[in-house]
Amino acid sequence: MNKKKIVLAEDNTTLSLLLKFRLEKEGFDLFMAKDGKEALELIERNSPDLIITDIMMPFMSGLEVISHIRNKLNSETPIIVFSAAGQEEMVLKAFNLGANDFMGKPFSPNELMIRVKRLLKI
Amino acid sequence: MIDYQYIYSTYNNLPFLIKLVWIVISLLALTIAFMSMYLKVIRHSLRKKREINIKFKTEYESLLVKYLYSGDDSEKTTKTQNSIIESLKESVKVDSKRKIILAVLYDLMNEVSGEMSDSIQTFYYKTGLIKYSYTKLKNKKWHVIAKGIGELRRFRIKKASHRVTKFINHPVREVQKETHLYMVNLFLFDGLSFLDHLKTPLSEWEQIQLLETLQKFENQEICNIRPWLKSTNNSVVLFALKLAKIYNQFEVKETLMELLSHTNKDIRLNTINVLTHLYGIEAKDVLKTNFNTLSIEEQISFFGLLEKLVMPDDEPFIEEHLFHKNFEIQLLALNILKEINIDKYMGLSKLSKKEKSTAMIKSENI
Repeated sequence: MNKKKIVLAEDNTTLSLLLKFRLEKEGFDLFMAKDGKEALELIERNSPDLIITDIMMPFMSGLEVISHIRNKLNSETPIIVFSAAGQEEMVLKAFNLGANDFMGKPFSPNELMIRVKRLLKI
Repeated sequence: MIDYQYIYSTYNNLPFLIKLVWIVISLLALTIAFMSMYLKVIRHSLRKKREINIKFKTEYESLLVKYLYSGDDSEKTTKTQNSIIESLKESVKVDSKRKIILAVLYDLMNEVSGEMSDSIQTFYYKTGLIKYSYTKLKNKKWHVIAKGIGELRRFRIKKASHRVTKFINHPVREVQKETHLYMVNLFLFDGLSFLDHLKTPLSEWEQIQLLETLQKFENQEICNIRPWLKSTNNSVVLFALKLAKIYNQFEVKETLMELLSHTNKDIRLNTINVLTHLYGIEAKDVLKTNFNTLSIEEQISFFGLLEKLVMPDDEPFIEEHLFHKNFEIQLLALNILKEINIDKYMGLSKLSKKEKSTAMIKSENI
């Protein structure tokens, strides 16, 4: 069976590593990006089944990533957004742009797993 | 081949001023060469240091992730976790490595919650990092103390409260601020107990930070703010007034009424605003009676209160102030009159221009 592919865009390397470890353990194929620009390259190259992105990232924000996926690539790939406290407006913008779900930081990796599986219908 | 003898004799035959210029040029050239070398060495060492830091960071990140995923459901640490803790205990003793470990832990502590955040806290205890934070509290330098308190706050070390509360009235504001944030972040509204002992002023910025912290929590059950409204520290009273407004503290109305005669003008002014927010109709008669003794700002605030809580029997008072010397009060009185007696308000337009107040003329022109 083909592994489901996930692109994770997060500039905090420790958090990325933590999530990579967990998601790979659950059987997903993970592609990690440190910023929005890198994330878009990975998305275009690998056509993932799910995208997890932080909102605040260097070079290109999570909002720009979502907008590019929905408007330029015309892709319907589910997107989960991470947001820090006080970014409520950003979250609304993310939903307006086409994000499917969001998780406020700090979050529990266990909860993220549940949401990932729900969106991938596993 | 360079003829040094010729250069030397030519130099000796030069006039003094030219000789001096040559000396200066040589010295400058030497300084530039030395500085360039020095810069190169610094850049090299910084690059080396950065590479080492990245190497250690990567190493510690993977060890920490391994530690976090090696736990079982019990509260005790597993064998693998203990071996990771033991291997890092040595690194913690080295200043530069300890800083990297702390940075990695900070990065994660802010991002994850639940069991993982508890595991990070255990890690902080067991690697001995907590001892270094405690040592920082004993340091003579204020910024080291502030850093120590900040670490204890980020890792949510509640049992350090008796060590931290000593700094509530520290002479340096930064240390005070860290102490107050520690209290509120870890003990929520109960943490505000530091206000009972606060002798120094609480800055506006710090008040905003504390309010922001309090609003982050799910439990919004506020404690009794009455003692702080009666505090001898004016900044504490002002902060308590903000709490009363944000958390709709209708039960403290009586204390607020007492504050209307406080010696501090800012407090009186803010009290009127809070009473307006809390529909403090009781304040109306008191303020009406003392109206002429109030400052202009208080009078304006009172008219703001009237705008919200006006009753038909307030009409004579309003009429009395339609020609107040302050334009803002004239305008507020006019608006209130329009609200309670539109006929009388319309009747004012029949007055001659000379008989009208500035506010009346201006509002006609809008």
